[in-house]
Amino acid sequence: MEVDVAVIGSGPAGLTAAIHARGSGARSVVLLEREEELGGILKQCIHNGFGLEQFKQDYTGPEYAERLIQDLEETDVQCFLNTLVTDLSPDRVITALSPEHGAIEISAGSIVLGMGCRERARGSIGIPGTRPAGIFTAGVAQRFVNIDGYLPGRRIVILGSGDIGLMMARRLTLEGARVIGVYEIMGYPSGLKRNIVQCLDDFDIPLHLSHTATGITGKERVEGVTISKVDSDLRAVKGTEQLITCDTLLLSVGLIPENELSQQAGVEISAATKGPVSTETMATSVPGVYTCGNVATVFDIVDHVAQTGATAGASAARYVGGRLNGDVPHVDIVPGENVRLLFPHRYSFQGDLLLFIRAAEPVEKPVTVEVSPPGSRITRPYARPNEMLRVRIPGAKLAEVRHPLKVSIREK
Amino acid sequence: MTVQKSHFVCVVCPIGCEIDVVHEDSEILSMEGQKCDKSEEYVRQELLEPMRILTTTVRIRGARWPVIPVRTDGPVPKRLFPRLMRQLKRIELQAPVDMLDVVVSDIAGTDANIVATRSMPQER
Ligand SMILES: Cc1cc2nc3c(=O)[nH]c(=O)nc-3n(C[C@H](O)[C@H](O)[C@H](O)COP(=O)(O)OP(=O)(O)OC[C@H]3O[C@@H](n4cnc5c(N)ncnc54)[C@H](O)[C@@H]3O)c2cc1C
Repeated sequence: MEVDVAVIGSGPAGLTAAIHARGSGARSVVLLEREEELGGILKQCIHNGFGLEQFKQDYTGPEYAERLIQDLEETDVQCFLNTLVTDLSPDRVITALSPEHGAIEISAGSIVLGMGCRERARGSIGIPGTRPAGIFTAGVAQRFVNIDGYLPGRRIVILGSGDIGLMMARRLTLEGARVIGVYEIMGYPSGLKRNIVQCLDDFDIPLHLSHTATGITGKERVEGVTISKVDSDLRAVKGTEQLITCDTLLLSVGLIPENELSQQAGVEISAATKGPVSTETMATSVPGVYTCGNVATVFDIVDHVAQTGATAGASAARYVGGRLNGDVPHVDIVPGENVRLLFPHRYSFQGDLLLFIRAAEPVEKPVTVEVSPPGSRITRPYARPNEMLRVRIPGAKLAEVRHPLKVSIREK
Repeated sequence: MTVQKSHFVCVVCPIGCEIDVVHEDSEILSMEGQKCDKSEEYVRQELLEPMRILTTTVRIRGARWPVIPVRTDGPVPKRLFPRLMRQLKRIELQAPVDMLDVVVSDIAGTDANIVATRSMPQER
């Protein structure tokens, strides 16, 4: 099968990319999704707070997804569900498997990667102890409760204060489980302040900062978790251990972009963002392969995900139409003062630069985001590591730039 | 009636101002920490009666999944959450259901309806 644009993954990134690819002149667009429904992770995020920026509405995850799916259904984009992409070649040939069609080979004029992210699991944080049942990532528990309709356990300890863990603390409490506490190794929570208030404080669930799990007990099923205080080097302090009886341990310790396929295609991966090295058109290092959403870098809000999807879809359509070159001159975008992470990584002179910036340290005062060259200064009321800043630099200002763009965040 | 001090984190916008309030019951005597006027309304409501949107799931028959996500179509008193949850545990829907279909109207006398937050077609 030959198509103009193939989009892998039907989360908000992939859905938006497919809609925009078709809308920007691609004649045939296919969307490949391994699950049995479109929508990606949003289907299990049943809480509200989605789409405030894009739709000026306080949607739940499923509503936001359905709204995009309705837009997609207005188009003739062809969707393949239950279709797992297993291989991607640098010359843009996709191999996929589906029970309905068997092995499919798709040769695409351009490709959009929209595979999302996955959660870090126990292996990535290395808690010693037995390996009983009852240890889940918060997202897996979210799926159990919100889609499959059952509780993963009754007495629950949550390790890590990521937003998904916070959401699950509230959700499980509402469903009648006892959430004993949320334990966070750092001295500050990783989730948003509003989520701490609405998910923990509202339900009197304690948050213990500077604490981590140092052991797990139980043979068949989790019976308890040992929690210890940590010192300023994040090392467990001897003598502070306490055994907490529980039947379930949820991990909410971070997300990582899912880039196995991207790597098969030879896409260069950034050590900083763990996603493809990208330009402002969402181009990766492989001509004709574009990226968007959480496979590109882990975003905080779905509106940002959709925004990158729109750009990636439009770029993919321009590439097959011969209106966008795969190999164009570019300058790097590099972190300066108080910047932990930047997306995209390169500017390739194709218009405005929409820059997503994660601060290294929180500044609870007005800040100036400086992009130099060209010497743009943009003010924001504060900078926090868990809320990406987004700034737009007009293309006209960047036309003459010949050196790497350095991005800094300074107190105003 | 006694004068009390309370601490709030305003959730009206992402800034999340930390606000210290001196109040007599639900009457605000003074407050500090807020960066705009919207916080005052929020704090007043928090003192009077904290209101929230409830999002949860209810059982459904004849669909691909055993549960369907729902929410209140407006904020309801937070203290009624346990009651609403108990009431919602008792109901079971029948597919097909459309997004925003009213599942329970005027739940527990709150004036709010419970609406479905996605469609679920009937499975053959
Ligand atoms: C468990 C979890 C819970 C989250 N909860 C929230 C939340 O509550 N609020 C919030 O704002 N954000 C949440 N996020 C962040 C959320 O991922 C983003 O807001 C948004 O959904 C990301 O969109 P996306 O399209 O990039 O990825 P996703 O929504 O993850 O979509 C990726 C899609 O790609 C498909 N896919 C992956 N690999 C393949 C393959 N090889 N072949 C075919 N299909 C493939 C997946 O099945 C999936 O449908 C959560 C993330 C996770 C992992």
